[in-house]
Amino acid sequence: MPSKDGEIVLRGLPISKGIGIGLPVFFASLEDYVPEVAIPCQEVDLEIARYRRALEKSRQDVEMLQKVSLSEGPSEIASILGTHLEMMQDPLLTSVIEKRIRSHRRNTESIFQHLIEEYKARFKTIQDHYFGERVRDIVDVARRILGHLCPFERLKMAEVPHNSIILTQELVPTETVEANASLVSGFITAVGGITSHAAIIARAKGIPYVANVDIKGLKKVDLHSLIVDGSQGIVILNPTRATLKRYQEMQKSYQKSYKLLKSVAHLKGETIDGYEVRLFANLESPKEIDQLIKAGASGVGLFRSEYLFLSQQKFPTEEEQFCIYKKMVKALKGRPLVIRVFDLGGDKKIDLPLGHAHAKYFSDIGCEPNPALGCRAIRFLLRYPDLLEAQLRAIIRAAQFGDIHILVPMVSDIHEVRLVREKVETIQKELGKPKPLPLGCMIEVPSSAIMCDAISREVDFLSIGTNDLIQYVLAADRGNHHTADLYYSTHPSILRLIRMIVTSANAARKPVILCGELAADPIIIPLLIGLGVREFSVAARHIPIVKHTIRKWRILEACRLAEGALDYPSAKELCDYLMQETAK
Amino acid sequence: MKLVQKVKVKNALGLHTRPAAVIVKLLQPRKSSVLFNYKNETINARSIMSILMLAAQKNSMIEITVEGEDAELTMQHLLQAFEMEFGEK
Repeated sequence: MPSKDGEIVLRGLPISKGIGIGLPVFFASLEDYVPEVAIPCQEVDLEIARYRRALEKSRQDVEMLQKVSLSEGPSEIASILGTHLEMMQDPLLTSVIEKRIRSHRRNTESIFQHLIEEYKARFKTIQDHYFGERVRDIVDVARRILGHLCPFERLKMAEVPHNSIILTQELVPTETVEANASLVSGFITAVGGITSHAAIIARAKGIPYVANVDIKGLKKVDLHSLIVDGSQGIVILNPTRATLKRYQEMQKSYQKSYKLLKSVAHLKGETIDGYEVRLFANLESPKEIDQLIKAGASGVGLFRSEYLFLSQQKFPTEEEQFCIYKKMVKALKGRPLVIRVFDLGGDKKIDLPLGHAHAKYFSDIGCEPNPALGCRAIRFLLRYPDLLEAQLRAIIRAAQFGDIHILVPMVSDIHEVRLVREKVETIQKELGKPKPLPLGCMIEVPSSAIMCDAISREVDFLSIGTNDLIQYVLAADRGNHHTADLYYSTHPSILRLIRMIVTSANAARKPVILCGELAADPIIIPLLIGLGVREFSVAARHIPIVKHTIRKWRILEACRLAEGALDYPSAKELCDYLMQETAK
Repeated sequence: MKLVQKVKVKNALGLHTRPAAVIVKLLQPRKSSVLFNYKNETINARSIMSILMLAAQKNSMIEITVEGEDAELTMQHLLQAFEMEFGEK
């Protein structure tokens, strides 16, 4: 940690490129937002009364929830809530806390929090999985009580001041979605993986992001300003004037080259010898359609519709969805819109509070030991046909106003697509709107990659989802930093699979589009073209660089590159070869 | 009066949430103090969280200490609850 004039340089994990300069904003989860203050002797009774009120309010909350769940939800919920009520009367949460407030003379929040941490620690030492799991109930109860104790409202990501650098333990996707790139200059977190959903969103928004930084340690530092270098994975605390100037210039040149690239936006995506490659944009927020048209996208190649749910924390109704899809497809003026039906579950899950109207969808599945292989995406939707049917109806209705395609995520067997197709046909008959609607299959599970010749014959288009495909083929978790070095996006096995998929799709004369971060890497783009991919979908801000890269290559050279690449036995050798070849 | 007695946990999941809740409820009208000792740890049996933290599985032996005016009746109720496997039988 070299230091000159108070400047401190920290190394972390680079997650999203770019340079952010700004002021620190610590973004705390409720638990670590607990101040510790001494309480004068004469106020101890007031403090205890305050605690009793918070406890009473929490009790009222839970009793309310229990009443609601008794008349609706399954009986387990009411019984869990009953236990929570018992816990609120537990001496460990009543007399022990009161005793401590008296003896320690500190504010209730801090005493409460310390005690909960002690309990959590004790539960964690329990070997028995079943008993260890009970810690969740304590955390749940504790959060509720703390919520009533703390008078402050939690800071919202969308309401931070300009030039904020967000420092937090961990970024969750919904918060990242909320972040406004014109207000948030950078993210720094204690935990985070390169391919987590929060990371993908940060990159799509162009917000620099560095992870693996000791946030708790930073809290102790007197921080005035910060630089986040998301390309190098560096965080500079209280930079000197010279450093600041150097980085400001770097930031400027970054923006300049980005502008330069944007100037190719109106040009066609084609190779030197005139082979057209169509570029689409991935989209999370319907509001960003203007941006992708400006960036020169041919349409939306992947609309991650689940963000409609994640950002609102509730499922939009059919009518709400219809309005959103209709607006989107109209804004696209004839360009295609591929809507991927809700890809929820797995790592895209929200702990909705008990009693929330939609909590049952997630609580029923419960805590899966292996969520990546669990009830997610189309499996989740087929479990809850009401959700799928409402979404399909909205899509079919909106399809009257433009070119909409339906994409089914995480297909592991063709029957899943068939079920969706049946539903589409039934709904079309009901609505009397028999306009043909292209139905596509996401190829991201190895089984469907292997079976893609059969699948190609039945569906209208294929979409290769590289992020998940890589994680499943290499059996390496994309969010886990222990396995991140096994997650090789250019593993020879992946290239062979992509070639297989493209060949099958071509044989069936069905279009195939490649979505995923892989398609935004200038080193990999020529390789993908060489493997026969002619349609890409990337985050809108990557479109200029992808286009720029495509326009530098000839199709024959790209094919030769790909053929050479397929011969390498390992990811490392392949990577070296690619670096060498694309640098030419 | 002070009574001490050992009892075996018979129900399948051990002293988990539901049995703990049964014990706490059962003790509410009683006046005696009740302690459980398991693996050298002594806890207040009126605390659902403390009981859970014992993580006492099936077949573990709990030493119950009851002290107070209604100790006899309290112990009787407790032993019965353990014997009936907290209504899970």
